[in-house]
Amino acid sequence: MFKNNLKVAWRNLKSNKLFSGINIIGLSMGLTIVMLLFLFISHERSFDSMFPKKDRIQRVLLKTDGDFGFETWATVPPATALTMKEEVTNVESAARLLKHNFGRPASLRINNQNFTEDLFYWVDKELLTIFDIELVKGDAATALDRPGTVILSETAAQTYFNQENPIGQTILVDNNRELEVTGVYKDFPENSTLDADIMASSNGYWFYDRKSWGNASFETYCLLKDNVSVDATQTQIDQMLEANVTKEGRWYSFGLQPLSKVHLYSASYGNSYSSRIGDINEVRNLTYLAILILLIACVNYMNLTTARSQKRSKEVGISKTLGASSESLVGRFYVETGLITAISIVLGVALTMLLLPSFNSLTNQHLTMDLLLNPTFILAALGVWLVTTLFSGLYPSMYLSRFLPKEILSPSLKRGKGNVVIRKGLVVMQFAASTALIVGVMVIYQQTQYIQNKNLGFAADNVMAISIGGLRGDENRNALEQEFKNLSEVTAVSMAQGYPGMDVSGRTLRKNDTEEHGLNIQTNVTDAGIVDALKLHLLAGSSLPKFKSEKDTLVEVVLNKKAIDYLGFSPEEAIGKEVYIGIPNTIVGVVDDFNYESLHQPIGAYAFNNSTSEGKSFMLVRFKSGNLANTVADLKSTFTRIVPNLDFNYSFLDQNIARMYAREKRAGQISIVFCILAIFVAALGLFGLAAYTAEQRRKEIGIRKVLGASVGKISQMLSMDFAKLVVIALFIGFPMAYFSMENWLEGFAYRIDLQWWVFALAGTIALGIALLTVSFQSIRAALTNPTKSLRAE
Amino acid sequence: MIQIQNLKKSFRTEEVETLALNGVNLKVAEGEFVAIMGPSGCGKSTLLNIIGMLDNPTDGSYKFAGHEVGGLKESQRTQLRKGNLGFVFQSFNLIDELTVFENVELPLIYLKMSKAERKEKVQKVLERMKIAHREKHFPQQLSGGQQQRVAIARAVVTNPKLILADEPTGNLDSKNGIEVMNLLTELNQEGTTIVMVTHSDRDSHYAHRVINLFDGQIVTESQNKPMGAMV
Repeated sequence: MFKNNLKVAWRNLKSNKLFSGINIIGLSMGLTIVMLLFLFISHERSFDSMFPKKDRIQRVLLKTDGDFGFETWATVPPATALTMKEEVTNVESAARLLKHNFGRPASLRINNQNFTEDLFYWVDKELLTIFDIELVKGDAATALDRPGTVILSETAAQTYFNQENPIGQTILVDNNRELEVTGVYKDFPENSTLDADIMASSNGYWFYDRKSWGNASFETYCLLKDNVSVDATQTQIDQMLEANVTKEGRWYSFGLQPLSKVHLYSASYGNSYSSRIGDINEVRNLTYLAILILLIACVNYMNLTTARSQKRSKEVGISKTLGASSESLVGRFYVETGLITAISIVLGVALTMLLLPSFNSLTNQHLTMDLLLNPTFILAALGVWLVTTLFSGLYPSMYLSRFLPKEILSPSLKRGKGNVVIRKGLVVMQFAASTALIVGVMVIYQQTQYIQNKNLGFAADNVMAISIGGLRGDENRNALEQEFKNLSEVTAVSMAQGYPGMDVSGRTLRKNDTEEHGLNIQTNVTDAGIVDALKLHLLAGSSLPKFKSEKDTLVEVVLNKKAIDYLGFSPEEAIGKEVYIGIPNTIVGVVDDFNYESLHQPIGAYAFNNSTSEGKSFMLVRFKSGNLANTVADLKSTFTRIVPNLDFNYSFLDQNIARMYAREKRAGQISIVFCILAIFVAALGLFGLAAYTAEQRRKEIGIRKVLGASVGKISQMLSMDFAKLVVIALFIGFPMAYFSMENWLEGFAYRIDLQWWVFALAGTIALGIALLTVSFQSIRAALTNPTKSLRAE
Repeated sequence: MIQIQNLKKSFRTEEVETLALNGVNLKVAEGEFVAIMGPSGCGKSTLLNIIGMLDNPTDGSYKFAGHEVGGLKESQRTQLRKGNLGFVFQSFNLIDELTVFENVELPLIYLKMSKAERKEKVQKVLERMKIAHREKHFPQQLSGGQQQRVAIARAVVTNPKLILADEPTGNLDSKNGIEVMNLLTELNQEGTTIVMVTHSDRDSHYAHRVINLFDGQIVTESQNKPMGAMV
C-alpha cells in the first residue's frame, strides 16, 4: 500500500513539473533559511556552555538607583569580590576582571618589538579555577600567584614569541610595568564570553586588595557552593552591601546573573568588557522570521495542492469508487507531501552548505557545518520535516480526500466556495507578511541612514585616535603633540582620556558640596585642543586653558549644555562659576550637547576637565581630508621617531562610531536578505496559483474571447482578482509593520518617525510584484486561442 | 456573405501533421441557412471555427462580407467578430459565475454600449426567448433547454449578421431541441444568416442547404425544400 502510494506520488511529482518545481524550490528555500538560522541560533545559545562549573557560576551585576537613571552595569566595585569571599557563605570563590586601563588597548614591548593588544585583562587568580582554564604550558594552580605574572593564549604566544618558549620571558606593559610569562592557555572558543588574549595577575596591581565600594569597573564572577540557592545568595549579598556601605554611599544594589544568560541577556547592560555580546532580541526576531518564511513556503504547498484539486478529483473519485477509504487517501496525500518535503530538506541541506560562507560573512560569524552533523541537528531536521509535512499536508489531504465520487465523476463539476475562500485567505496572509517585511526593511534602512547622517554635535570624520597609554612623562607627550602640530596635514591635536563613543568616567555633578543628590556626569580628562579636535560647538567661554602647571591643583572644566541646564545657568552665566564633580571645578567653557554615546542613549551631562585623576590614553589628531595614506605615514614616522618603544596604534573616530551600530547593521542586512527571500517565495506561490487559476478559468476565458473580449481585458480581469487580495493584505500587513517597527524604534533615543510614504511605497512594491507575477500567467491565458478551450469535452 | 476558396487547415502535434480541412470551397449568401454534416473528425467544427474567425486557416482564402479574413491578426479578428457574429454551442458555454442577465449582457459590454441601452436590449431578447423570468438565476439553476435559450439570446443580442451554431441541440431532449431549432429558423426568417454544424438529420431539414463533409473535403451538397417553422 505504502509502496503503491509512493509510486503514485513520485509519478505525480514528475508529471507536474511546474507545480513540483515551485513547491520544492519554495520549501527548500524556506528550509535553508531555517537551517542557517538554526546554526546561528544554536551557536548563540551555546555560549559559555563549555565551562564545567557553568551551572554554579554567576556574574555580579550592579543596579544603579534613581540618580543614575536605573541602569544595570556589568561591572562592580573592587571590594565586591574581596568581601564576598569572606562574608557571603554561599560563595565558594570569586574573581575580578579589569580590561586594561578601563577598556583601552595595552602597549606591549616584547624582545624590543612594539605591539598593541586590545584584549588585555587584569584578573584575580581565582578566575582560573572558576572557569577551569587549562594551561598547555605552566601550572594553573600557581601561574598567577605571584605579583607581576601573566599568562597568554596560544594565539597570543604565537604572535608575540613565535616559536620560542614564552615561559619566563618578559613583557613590558605601557612602558612601565614588567610582567613575567608563567603560562600559556588554550584559546577561548568562539562561543565563550571570556575573550582575553592576555591575562595578567591582579596581585601587585593597584586594585589587588583595594576594598573600595566606588569605582564600579570590575567584571566579577562568583562560584556558588554546591546546592545553594541563588535567592539565598542574593539575600546574603544584599546583607553584605548593607553591612559595608553606609546608606549615603549606597547608590546601587547588586544582582546575580547566571553564566548561561551572560551572552544573550546583557545587550542593554553598561560597561561589558567582552567583545562578544549577543542579543536575545536578535535571536528571537530571527527565529520569528525563519518561522514566517517556512510558513509562507508551507502555505504555497497547501495553496497549489488544493488549487489543483479539480485535476486530482478524478483520481480520488475513481479510487473511491474502487473502494478506497478516506483514511487511505489521506495517507496517500501525506506520502506525497512527505516526499516533496524530504526532497526539499535534502536540497535545503545542500543549499545550506553552499550558502554558509556568505551567511557567515553577512552575520560576521564563523559557523561551521559540523553542527549539521551533530545528533541534535539531525533530530531537529527530522522534526522540521515532520512538522512541515504534517502542516503542509493537513489541509490538502483533508480537503481532497473528502470528495465524493458522485460529484467528482459527474460531468458538471462544481466546487464549494469554501475552498476558494481559504485559498484566498492564505494568499492574503502571505502578502500581509511580505508587506510587513518590506516596511520593516525600509524602516530599518531609514533609521540606519539617519544614524549615519545625524549631526552628532561634533565632527567624527578626519579624526584619528592614537594610543598613547604607554607613553610616559609629560615631556614626551608634549614633544609628540608639538611634532604632530608641525605636520601640514594636521589641523588640531588634543590628548584625552577617551573619545565620544567610548566609556570615560562616571561621576556626580553637584551645584555645591552640600547638595545631596546631584546628576550623573561623564568626565573626560583632556586639554585645550579638544574643542578644535572634535569641532565642538562652543556656546560660551573658551576651551580648557593651554598651560597648566603640574602643581596647579585647580581643576577647570568645560561642560555641555545638559550639565549647565541642570545647574540652572545660561551658558554665559556659567562661565567662572564653581561646581562640584567630586572636587570643586571652575567652569571655563560651555559646549553644545553632542552624542557621546550611541544614539540608543539620550544625551546626558558631560564634562571635559584638566584634572590629573585619570591618565590621557589617546592623542586625537584632526587632519585635512586628502591623501589619507600619506597622512597616516607621516604621523607614523613622526610617532616612531619620537617614541621608538611604542607600537603606533590608531583608529578613526568615524569608524569607531560606526562600530557601535554593527549589530543594527547586521540585523538590517539579515532582514533585507530574508525579506527578499520571503517575498520571492510568496511570489513563487502566487505564480503557481495564478497558473492554476488561469487553467481553471480556461473555458470562461474562451467564452469571453468568443464574445469579443480583448487580450487586455481578459488579463486585466484575471490580474484584478489577485490585486484585490493584495490590497486586503496591505491592510493587515500595515498595522503589523507599524506596531513592530514602532517597538523597534523605541530602542533608540534618536529615531526617525514612521512616515506614510514608506507604507505607500511598500504597498506599491507588494502590489507591483504581485501584478508582475500574475500578469505573466494572465496574459498567457488571455492569448490562448478559444477554440482550444472550448473544444467539446 | 461568405466566400471560401481552397481552404486548408492542418494541425501539428509532436509527431504527426493532420490535415483537418483539405481544399474546401464554399459560398454562403446573405439570409441563407446552411447545415454542415459529417462523421466525427471530418473537420466540421474546424470549418465552423474558421468561419467564426476563432481560428486562422493554414492556406486558402476566406472572405467575410468582402473582407479577406485569412491573414488577420487576432486583435483584428476580434474587432471584425464583435457585433457581426453570434455563437451557439452544444455545451451552451455559459459562464457559471454570471447570472442569465449578465451572461447575455457580456457581448454588449465588450461593444462598449451604455448601461441603459444594454439593459433594454438584454430584456428585449430575454423576453423574446421566453426566459426573462429567469434573468437573476445562475446557469446551474436552469434546465438544458433554458440554458440553450440563454445562449441563443446571448448570440443574437448584438443583432449579428451571422450566427454560427455548433450542434445546438446535441445536449437537449427532442422537445427542447425542436424549440431551439424553431428559434433559429425564426431568426433566419428575419434575415440572419445561419451556419450550423449538426449530426442530426432532423435538424438538417431546417436548413436550406446541407453540406456533407468527409475527411476535410466537401463530398456532397444538397438543397432542401424550405420547411418553415414547425409547431
